[in-house]
Amino acid sequence: MYFKYIFFLLILFNVAACSDKKEIAYNYEGTFNNEKGGTLIDAMSGEPSNLISMIAGDSASSAIAGNIFNKLIKYDKNLDLAPELAEKWIISGDQKTITFHLKRNLKWADGHDLTSDDVLFTWKLVTDDKTRTPYGSDYKLVEKAEAPDPHTFKVIYKQAYAPALDSWASLQILPKHILKDEDINHTFFSRKPTGSSYYKLSQWVNGEKLTLEANASSVMGEPNINQLTSRFIADTSSQFLELIADNIDLMNINPIQFARVIPSRPDLKKKLALYKELGNSYTYLGFNLKHHPFDDLRVRQAINYALDKQEVIDGVLLGLGEPVASPYKPGTRWSDKALHPYPYDKNQALKLLHEAGFSDTNNDGILDRNGKPFTFEILTNQNKQREMTAVLIQRRLKDIGIDAKIRVIEWASFVNQFIKTGDFDAVILGWSLSLDPDQYNIWHSSQQKPGQFNFIGYNNKEVDQLLEQGRTELNPDKREKIYHAFSKTLLRESPVIYLYAGYGLTAMNKRIKGIESPAPPAGISYNSYDWFIPSTLRRNEITP
Amino acid sequence: MLNYLIKRLLWMIPMLIGISLISFFIMHLAPGDITASESAFNPKASEESRQKLRALYNLDKPLTTQYGLWLKRIVKLDFGNSFASHQRPVLWETKDAKGNVTKGMIQDALPITLMINLIGLLIIFSISIFLGVTSAVNQNKWPDRLITIIVFIGFAVPGFWLALLLMYWTGVTHSWLPISGLHSVGYEKMGYMAQYVDLFKHLILPVSISSLGGLASISLYVRNGMLDVLQQEFITTARAKGLTENKVIYGHALRNTLLPLITIIGLSIPGLIGGSVIGESIFAISGMGKLFFDAVLMRDFPVVMGILTIGSVLTLFGNLIADIGYAWADPRIRRGISN
Repeated sequence: MYFKYIFFLLILFNVAACSDKKEIAYNYEGTFNNEKGGTLIDAMSGEPSNLISMIAGDSASSAIAGNIFNKLIKYDKNLDLAPELAEKWIISGDQKTITFHLKRNLKWADGHDLTSDDVLFTWKLVTDDKTRTPYGSDYKLVEKAEAPDPHTFKVIYKQAYAPALDSWASLQILPKHILKDEDINHTFFSRKPTGSSYYKLSQWVNGEKLTLEANASSVMGEPNINQLTSRFIADTSSQFLELIADNIDLMNINPIQFARVIPSRPDLKKKLALYKELGNSYTYLGFNLKHHPFDDLRVRQAINYALDKQEVIDGVLLGLGEPVASPYKPGTRWSDKALHPYPYDKNQALKLLHEAGFSDTNNDGILDRNGKPFTFEILTNQNKQREMTAVLIQRRLKDIGIDAKIRVIEWASFVNQFIKTGDFDAVILGWSLSLDPDQYNIWHSSQQKPGQFNFIGYNNKEVDQLLEQGRTELNPDKREKIYHAFSKTLLRESPVIYLYAGYGLTAMNKRIKGIESPAPPAGISYNSYDWFIPSTLRRNEITP
Repeated sequence: MLNYLIKRLLWMIPMLIGISLISFFIMHLAPGDITASESAFNPKASEESRQKLRALYNLDKPLTTQYGLWLKRIVKLDFGNSFASHQRPVLWETKDAKGNVTKGMIQDALPITLMINLIGLLIIFSISIFLGVTSAVNQNKWPDRLITIIVFIGFAVPGFWLALLLMYWTGVTHSWLPISGLHSVGYEKMGYMAQYVDLFKHLILPVSISSLGGLASISLYVRNGMLDVLQQEFITTARAKGLTENKVIYGHALRNTLLPLITIIGLSIPGLIGGSVIGESIFAISGMGKLFFDAVLMRDFPVVMGILTIGSVLTLFGNLIADIGYAWADPRIRRGISN
């Protein structure tokens, strides 16, 4: 009886095994010529929500929408502003008017002309109170926008606003002829968009995958790879299995996979190429400056000296990150090369703490002041890297006699019960290394109301002034000086301690060619439209 | 009998209101709302726009008002639209003026989860009955011991760990089975039969993993029920009549053993629509578990409430069906209801 069962199971397995696909030996090495065609399959952890990016807030949506829509201007490989739909832009003498001159013969994927009227329409949408976008505020500063002719788009600001260009480098232009009678919040266009860029949507299966195909009338020229398929696989371990089984071509991997797993396996090394690029965010330890003793500059500096940033980078990121000394991406003009992170110096830390009045009077190993021991709580959200960082910080603080406790909280509770109410001592969080240097919302003293982003309560007149100046200066050279001064003050004042900026790590099947390595500041994907898949390396498109 | 049914059905109304009331308030006890998602922590997104959104979704009104509004919609069977930016209908598809159909979220996820769970339930019951009977017949001999050990190992092994190992073994080292998802990438271009084979191959691992944990409890139910029945006098009678052992066990004893299982089947009806979050994430299957989990994390209240409401309706119906099934199978209970 049992044998019958086992036999049945064996048959089942054999049925499955019949389709055992032959291991195809690709020859990845050698030189290949640029050719068109092929399919690239990648994996996404989340499914895009809405392909109208001014309404969607998630990164999956903007990743897909970025392949479909164009902006007026863009950031190039060195993160400088460059033409996209606009061939040039002119800033008036009083810095209040920006005139964009569009390229000629721009077309939507359905053949309609793309004109400045579409740009004006998009601006009206994003500033309309009925539109459910969280990103309207930058565009509402425009006092008047006009499209005097089909190739010119002009915006006039109430006062000079430097981040304006950055805002025009992120607004994706939508087609007026399709959307003019639609309710932007509920339109089906968000699932069936018509764009102007390299790709157009060909298929979207809920919960499963999304496929883009090359847009023949793209205003940017034709991409090499004909089809992009994104599979939605929530679990990154499953993504990794799909990658090493050759079912997907690229994915973001973690430091362990990058530094340990793949290098130790010759079979994986043979077919996977590894790329690293500096990510767009940094992780910091931020203090509640309204709480004692963090209102004391010496205490903050002491903690900065007491933390070994390289140790955190080595321990948490296996060395795959960089220390930063300003909230700007190293290698860009906004990041001041003359600034260096605080070195690890335990004695300096102790000295500063003594100056601030801390000493261990009762010999319990914890410093105290006025009879109160130096103890505080570090809050962070459920993020493995931040949790590990917290543990390393805790140990270093214990070395100098500070007792830190760690508390890990779910995101929505974290924001609502601790950040908004200001009920915290210290947090480990991340901010983006923004492309535009303006960080008024994060550091200006006026931005401290509940729900605003200066929740640490930073208040410095000099910084306020610099931030205000930087916002109204459109000349990059003058801005550079302003933001270098701002970064310097910020570093000295240590309202937050910069811990690290991690690398974005990508593993890619070697069938994809044409990738620039080492990665330029904009990352490897800046030229993804020039990537190609040699026909000898393409996988069988259908494997029934 | 009819009276009993009507009474039970009417009782469901206050029960449902009570359940929805409790779930609604518990859900709102969790801090935060849709505007506090991680991507909203973006310096480019202003607090005013978040307030605007809150007002739009009535999240700024008192809880009782919000509940009243929800109740008013739900009696018309309107489950509303998701708060997420895709604004998809929670339950069923809608059509816009141009004839574009937007599928409902539950409509998309439910068939997948139902399919996996139904197949799983079928497998669990058929294997468990077989295992339970074998154990009982060979009580305290080696097959009994072996089966107990195996089902308990199956119960104790963490599903996600075994899933990953099996995915690696059958998908990466051997490429026998696909690793994740429900369809291959070229699914649309396949023939009719090939599509079925493709789906079948994708289902083998997820269904096996989800069934493994259920084997222990059901097979022990069957084993113990069988042992009880085998002690009874009618079994001795059957044996005395000279029936073959197979007939005694499968014809007489098993039928009586299966009675309590009716309750278990009834109670597992609501479980059919709930998926496992971990299983679905690992196998990249967009079922109900992941839908519910993501909705809770995002504080997408209409979706959470929609799933909870449908879940509680099904639980109540499951109980009712279990009771009716019991009455149908067991004359003693039938008499009790009629009185």
